This record gives sequence, C-alpha cells and structure tokens, in this order.
Amino acid sequence: MSSKAPLFTNTKCECGHQNPVGTVLCEACGKPLEEKEAESSENLEMRYDGVARRSQRVNPGIIDRVWNFFSSVKIAVYLIVLTLLGSMLGTILPQESTFLNIDASTYYKQEYGTAGDIYYKLGLSHTYESWWFVTLLVMIGASLVICSLDRVLPLYKALTRQKIRKHRQFLTRQKVVLVTEVQDDPETWVERVAGPLKKRGYRVKTDGGALLAEKHRFSRWGPYVIHIGLIIFLLAVLARGLPGLNMDQHLAFPQGEITQIPDTTFYLENKKFIVEFYTEEEMPEEFRGKKVLPKLYETQAVLYECTADCGDPSKKPQLNEVASHDIRVNSPLSYKGLKAYQFDYDLTPVLRSVQPELKDSRTGEVYGKFKLTMKNPERSFEAGPYTVTLKEKYMDFGLSDEGQPVSVSPYPNAPAFLFLITGPDLPAEGQQYFYFPKQVDKTKFQQTAINDKLGGGSRFLELEVGDMKDVDFSESTTYLNVRVDRAMPFIWVGAAIVMLGLVLGFYWQHRRVWLTVDDGVLTLGGHTNKNWFGFRREIVGVLGKVDMAVDEKTLDNGGGLA
Amino acid sequence: MSLLDFSSDIFIAAFFLYSGAFMLYTIAIMGRKWSGRKPEEHTARWGKIAFAASSIGLLCHLAYFITRWMGSGHIPVSNMYEFMTFLSMMVMVAFTVIFAIYRKIILGLFAVPISIILMAYAAVFPQEVQPLIPSLKSIYLNIHVTLAALGESFFAVGFAAGLMYLLRTVNFGSKDKNDRKQQRLVEFTLFSIIVILGFLVSVFAFRGAGYESVFVRPNVTIDSPGQENSTIEKVSYKMPPIVAPYDSEIESFQSFLGMDKPLFEAPSWMNGVNAGRKFNTVIWSLISGLLLYGLIRLIVRKPLGEAIHPVLDGIDADDLDEITYRAIAIGFPIFTLGALIFAMIWAQVAWGRFWGWDPKEVWALVTWLFYSAYLHLRLARGWQGRKSAWLAVLGFLVVMFTLVGVNLVIAGLHSYAGTD
Repeated sequence: MSSKAPLFTNTKCECGHQNPVGTVLCEACGKPLEEKEAESSENLEMRYDGVARRSQRVNPGIIDRVWNFFSSVKIAVYLIVLTLLGSMLGTILPQESTFLNIDASTYYKQEYGTAGDIYYKLGLSHTYESWWFVTLLVMIGASLVICSLDRVLPLYKALTRQKIRKHRQFLTRQKVVLVTEVQDDPETWVERVAGPLKKRGYRVKTDGGALLAEKHRFSRWGPYVIHIGLIIFLLAVLARGLPGLNMDQHLAFPQGEITQIPDTTFYLENKKFIVEFYTEEEMPEEFRGKKVLPKLYETQAVLYECTADCGDPSKKPQLNEVASHDIRVNSPLSYKGLKAYQFDYDLTPVLRSVQPELKDSRTGEVYGKFKLTMKNPERSFEAGPYTVTLKEKYMDFGLSDEGQPVSVSPYPNAPAFLFLITGPDLPAEGQQYFYFPKQVDKTKFQQTAINDKLGGGSRFLELEVGDMKDVDFSESTTYLNVRVDRAMPFIWVGAAIVMLGLVLGFYWQHRRVWLTVDDGVLTLGGHTNKNWFGFRREIVGVLGKVDMAVDEKTLDNGGGLA
Repeated sequence: MSLLDFSSDIFIAAFFLYSGAFMLYTIAIMGRKWSGRKPEEHTARWGKIAFAASSIGLLCHLAYFITRWMGSGHIPVSNMYEFMTFLSMMVMVAFTVIFAIYRKIILGLFAVPISIILMAYAAVFPQEVQPLIPSLKSIYLNIHVTLAALGESFFAVGFAAGLMYLLRTVNFGSKDKNDRKQQRLVEFTLFSIIVILGFLVSVFAFRGAGYESVFVRPNVTIDSPGQENSTIEKVSYKMPPIVAPYDSEIESFQSFLGMDKPLFEAPSWMNGVNAGRKFNTVIWSLISGLLLYGLIRLIVRKPLGEAIHPVLDGIDADDLDEITYRAIAIGFPIFTLGALIFAMIWAQVAWGRFWGWDPKEVWALVTWLFYSAYLHLRLARGWQGRKSAWLAVLGFLVVMFTLVGVNLVIAGLHSYAGTD
C-alpha cells in the first residue's frame, strides 16, 4: 500500500498495455510491473488486482492529501481503535444523561470523590456528546466514503475487463499454484476441465489453451455495501440532531384526564392505568415473601387530534379521536410517527377538584357551594349573597427566598388559591382569603393564621368541604415518553444495508482460477478473497474429475491464508 | 417428574457428557504417541468417538433448553444462569459448525472446555425459573439474546483456535528476547484461564461447606425535602471475608482456619456494599488460581505453554490461522445482527430510543469495533498468523467483559440480568 511511485516511470507493459501510474500488476496480462516486484518470487499483491488507486497520484495537492489521508486503511483502523477506547472511557462512571436532574459540577465530586471530579472536568461525564467523540464519528464517516470510493472504482474496472490469458508470472505467484504435465492437446484439456468447473457454479471463459473461471464476484462488493449502509446510518444519526425531526418529552397523564401534548395538536387521554404484580403462586418458592416482581404496566390510552379552537384559551378545543392503544412496555402507541412509551407511574392520588362550601363560622349557616377544579378553574363563583373571585392560583405552593408565595412546580402537589370575597358585612374592597384544598397543606402552611392576618379579627367566612364525595381524585398518574423521530426509517435502512453487505461479503467468496496449457505443461493459478482452505479443496475436487490426483497441500504456494 | 426437573437432570447429563468428550478428545490427541496404531488412525478413530460423545451432549443440552422453555413458558435466556447455559450450548453449536467444515479433532480439545467452564459458571447463579418482568416480555428477547450469544460463540471458537495457533507456533525452547515475551504472554493467558477455574473451585467448595458471614452497614441518605432516611444494608459473604465492605460492621462471622475477623477493609471508593464482597471473591479466585497453577507447575515441572506445545505437534499452523479467521468471519455478521441491530430494534420498541449509550450497549459496540479492526487489519493490512491470533484471544476477553464484566462492575439498564 505504501508503494510510492517514482515521478517518471515507464508504465507500459510488455504486452503493449499502457497502465496508469501506481499500477502494480499490468491491467491486461497481470505481469508484475515494478522491477523490484518483477524479480521477487513472493506472492503477488492481489488487492484490487494491482490497479492504481486515486490516492496513489503523483504530485498530490491539498485535496489529494486529504483524500490520501482518509483513504488509508491504517488511518481507518486508528480511527476505529480511538473510537473504541473513547467509548470505553465513557463507561467508567455513569454518564450525565442517565440522571434526570443533577448538578453535574458537584454531583461527580460528591459521589465519586476526586476521581469523579477529574472525570467530570475531563468532560468524560458526557463522553458521547463531546466534540472529540463526535469528530471521531465524523472522521470515520469521511474515511468510509473515501476509502470505499478510492478502492471500489479501480476494483470495478479491474474485474470488468479481465483478460483470459495471463502472464506466466502472474499465475505462478498466486497463493494457489499448480504446475504439472498434461498429455492432452491444450484445447481439449481446457474443454474437459471447463465441465466440472461449471458444475461447481463457475462462469468459465476460454481462449484456446487458456481458461478463466470465476464465481461469486458479487461477494467483492460486500465491504462497500457495508460501508454505504454505515454512511446512511451515520447520516441519519447526525440528522436526528436537526430541529423538527426529533421530539422527546416525558409527560405525566393523570388517570381519567385528557392532557395536551405540548407543541403538538395532539391530546392524550389516560382512561385507566393498571399495574399488576406476580402473585405468590406465580413466583418460585425461593422468592416468596421476599421479592415483589412487577407483571404488567399498562396505560389504556386514547389519542385525539385537535381540529378547531386549538390555541384559544377561552374556548374548549374540539378533539377528534385518532388512535387508541393499551400502552405497555414493549408495546407503544403509534400514530403517524408519534409514539408514546410506558415510562413510569405514580400511584399517589392527585386532587382533581373540590366543592367547598362557603360557611359562616359564627352561625354555621352555609351560603353556597361551588366546584373548584385544580386545572383551569373558573374565575368567579356565586355563593348566596357573596361573590368569590379567584385572584391567584398556586399548583405546588411554596415560599420564595423573599418570602413571597410561589408555585414550585406545575404539578398539583400542594394546590393553593387566593380568593377575593365580596358581599354583605365585608369591607367594600372585599376580603382576601387563602384556600388550601388539602387538609395536610392547611396545617402545614397554617391557613387559618394566614387568613386571620389577611382578614383581621372580624373574619367570619370559611371555605370548607362538607363531604368526602365533594372531593374528586385521580387515582394514579402514568408517565409516558412521547417521541417523534423522523430519521428512524433511515437508521433501519442503513442497518439493513449493512447486514446485506455483511452476508454478501462473509458468507460467499470470490474465487478465480486461471490456467494455461502450453507445450504439455499446465500452469494453474487461483485466487480467492478468503477461505483458501475450501478453495484448495474445491480445485482438488475439480482436478479429480479430470483424473488428476493432487494433494490439497501441494497447491499451497505459501504466504499465509487471508 | 415435572418438565423442569427433567430439564435440570438432563442438563447435568450434558455436563458429564461434555466432560467425558473432553477426556476422549484428550485420548484422541495425546494417545496417538503411545497407542499401537498409526497416529492418524488412532486420532481419527478416537476423534470420532469423542465427537459422538460431545454431540450427544449437545442433544441433551438442547433437550434441557426445550424442556425448560416448555416448563417455564418463556425462552430460558432471561437471567444470568439461563444466559450462561445458553451461551455454553451455542459454543458447542459453533464448534460443531466449524468442526464440520475443517474436521480438526484437536479443536474439540480446546473448544469443549470453554463450554464446560461456561456451564460451571452458570451454576454459580440462582437456577430457579423466574417470571418475566414487563420489559423482558417481548419477542425480541428470543431474537436479540440468542443471536448475540451465537455470534459470541463463534468468537469463542476463534479464541480457542487462536490460542492453539499460539501454543503451536511460539518457540518455547528459545531464549531470544522476543520469543520470551511471547512465552510469557501465552503463560499469562493460560494463567488467567486457571484463575477462572480457581474462582469456580472456590465458589463451589465454600458453597459445599455451607460457609456464610454477614456484614451490615447503616446507610443514611437525605432525600429532597431534607428528610433523613436511614436504612441498614446487609451483605452476606459466601466465602471467608479477607476484605470487609467499606465502613461496615460484622453481624455474624463463621471462623475459617482460625481467621475470625476480616484481614482488612475495602477502600472507600468501593462504596457499594456489594463492592467489598465482589473484591473478596476476586481475591479468593486469585488465591485458588495461584494454588492451582502452582500445583500444575509442580506436576509438569515446566511452564504450561511449553507443556501443552507438544500436544499440537504436527498440526498445520496455517490451518489454525484459517480456522481462527473463519470462525470470526462467520460470527461477525451474526453478532452484528443480534447484538447491535436487534438490540437497537428492541431498545426502540421498549425504551423509545434505539441507542442510549448504556454501558452494555457501549460494550457491544466496543466488541464490534474491535472485531472490525481485526478484520481490517487482516484483510487490508495483511495481519495474519501471530498478530491475528493475539487479536482473536484479546477479542474474546472483550466479549467476556461485555457479557459478565459489565454486569459485575458497571451495571446499568441490563442489570436485571442479575449478576452476583
């Protein structure tokens, strides 16, 4: 491969064929061209049949140099090995991406000490997204393209214009060689041996006393097919990074509710979530009473598409059912590229709505009752002579560092409502009232104390739930991973092409036999790209059919068995 | 007798048949020098008997697999015990395929023991049939795991042939610096195999003796709202604790040869409660491995490589080189399909992403890249013979780390494979 052609060489072969610079074996007759090569008795370099490649050009320019760099198999192997080592490094500690929310800058130091800190500072906590790793992958891509182009074109040229009669040296310096005497007339003998060769699937061409038999040439394209598949695969992987091709959200869906999937026109309803565990009888005895094994996670889901009034908060969106599926692990819901996967669940009941009564704490008189939903509550309610107006809503009540009430998350873990009540016996501007629907929050955040402060001592109105049936819970919440990945078809096509190439390249071999009979001497040379053992056995079998007993080992001209 | 009982019985039958076959292969190869017959005749005759024995063993192994499948209702590849028994079966399948092509009796001498060791390793793990958790309920369990194991088994046969090539070609008589290096490397490879045997011997010896010591470690974690959770982690040692888990207390200690407390404590970076136990297992494996190795050295009175070398006399080195390459070339597409492509398809269906850089995925990729490099070096750079054989040996190490090491040391999403 490293054969550097001198600047000026006579590349014309004695058979009259003009070869390009860099040619090792004459394109026509196969005679070794360089003097050093011609004098040697070693096995011939049969890669690409000795045809010149682009990377062997004289006077390389900058583009040629880049081309030469990437066309080198040596470089390709270095790239593979570097990627391999880089990948290994990334498995020493868990990657940042495996945690949902951590502060990586402190996490690694805390968990793994100094070593963890160094690991983080070297950027190994996100190895696979790091610039050097991505660069390696891109370079492998470049190497795949250029290596393949550099070789497939010369190889194609060489294999489509093979001459039947080859130079004697070409034959005797193959790895499979037989020189022996034959009694028959050259043409008769060649005709005789053509029969058994054809029977074994060879395509046979003869030219007087010369013969070329060849089979499974397609196997030579295997490596290039693999490389094309890998290029498609890598491009698809890169394309996944483009905006709009990819969506990945983890969303909570409380049971019995229709929830919008953000940034889409789709809504998903969790009709029912089921979790089942194996019963004692289904478990092996050793585990009974010790282990709990889950059996099933299932979300009975219905997917809707919004047809009108979608983005308008004042109107109810009009939904149209498009798909329904019982989502389980290994069985996602799928609709036009949108997929929803079972990811997690939470069996904590989630408050959906309460119907508090407005009561007079002095007399116990109930003025009225209204329905307060946690999500999208109405703005004002009437309770007897009083009007209750919603001023603020906190889904997950908490206090900010400045002591201001805030919502610490969008999930209704600790819902709180600030109302303004107007009506008889109240100040004209109304009275503020904080309402925590959950009993636990009432105590935790001291609802009474807050309201006493807001309303002063003359406060006499309270919001209270009178009956448990006025409280509505969603029993559980399922977490689904909602994804759109438009590049997936290309990933699979790439992978399928890689497999096709692997099968072509590894389970078949390109075998060629050249032979000439001159003056009663048979010279046979054979070449295959792998499995020399089987190839020699096949030739022995063929020669046996023309009553020539040869030992497999005598065919071996040495030089290893690629 | 239930199907599952029959299944474990016939598995034991397969184990003994393989062991018998291994001895027959030994007779076929070693016996050629002292039998009255011509060496070729002797090897051919005994080789046939040995192959028959290992094939009947394989049939029993298949019977185990099918009956366990029927008895448990799912394909038995769902935990470490089942996977290792399956892998050992696939190694025998790969051996049979390669044997059918090349008819080299001696391959049996090196491939069958791999299967035997894997079977013994399987027995380290709990053997009960476990119902499938939701993430394993998929047709891809059947496809992904089986194909990956089959591909890896061809790599195992490539490893066996590569090691044979080295034992055949390394010049064990020479004092030349380069030859000495090769001798040492071969010796180290053989020693590593003996350490694995040492591991198995320690596990089964202490298990047979019913050894157990227990350590506890209080573990305090602080969860997000600032609440302190205190749990007590408990770890049970099945081998005498030379090393105790980091920061732990003895709950019960069974004295062993006068040793009634651990010799030292695991370093702080081994902070998992099980890390100390695993470290202890490694120490015991090394001790038993060294003892075993020393014993063998005392008997044969020369380095193991040198002792095995004459066994391979008269075997054509080029054939071994070719077998190494061929086994890997057959295994590579199967491995790609099973361990990468079907893995990606399954990951896409189960987790919604075809690739997530999970340690197991990364190591499957590392294995694949390693054998890709091997193939490029061999096909385009002419690495044959010695270098190629070393790569085949090293490659199998990568395979075993992917299968066992990742679960043992790194864990990740494939942790349900339950390594102990």
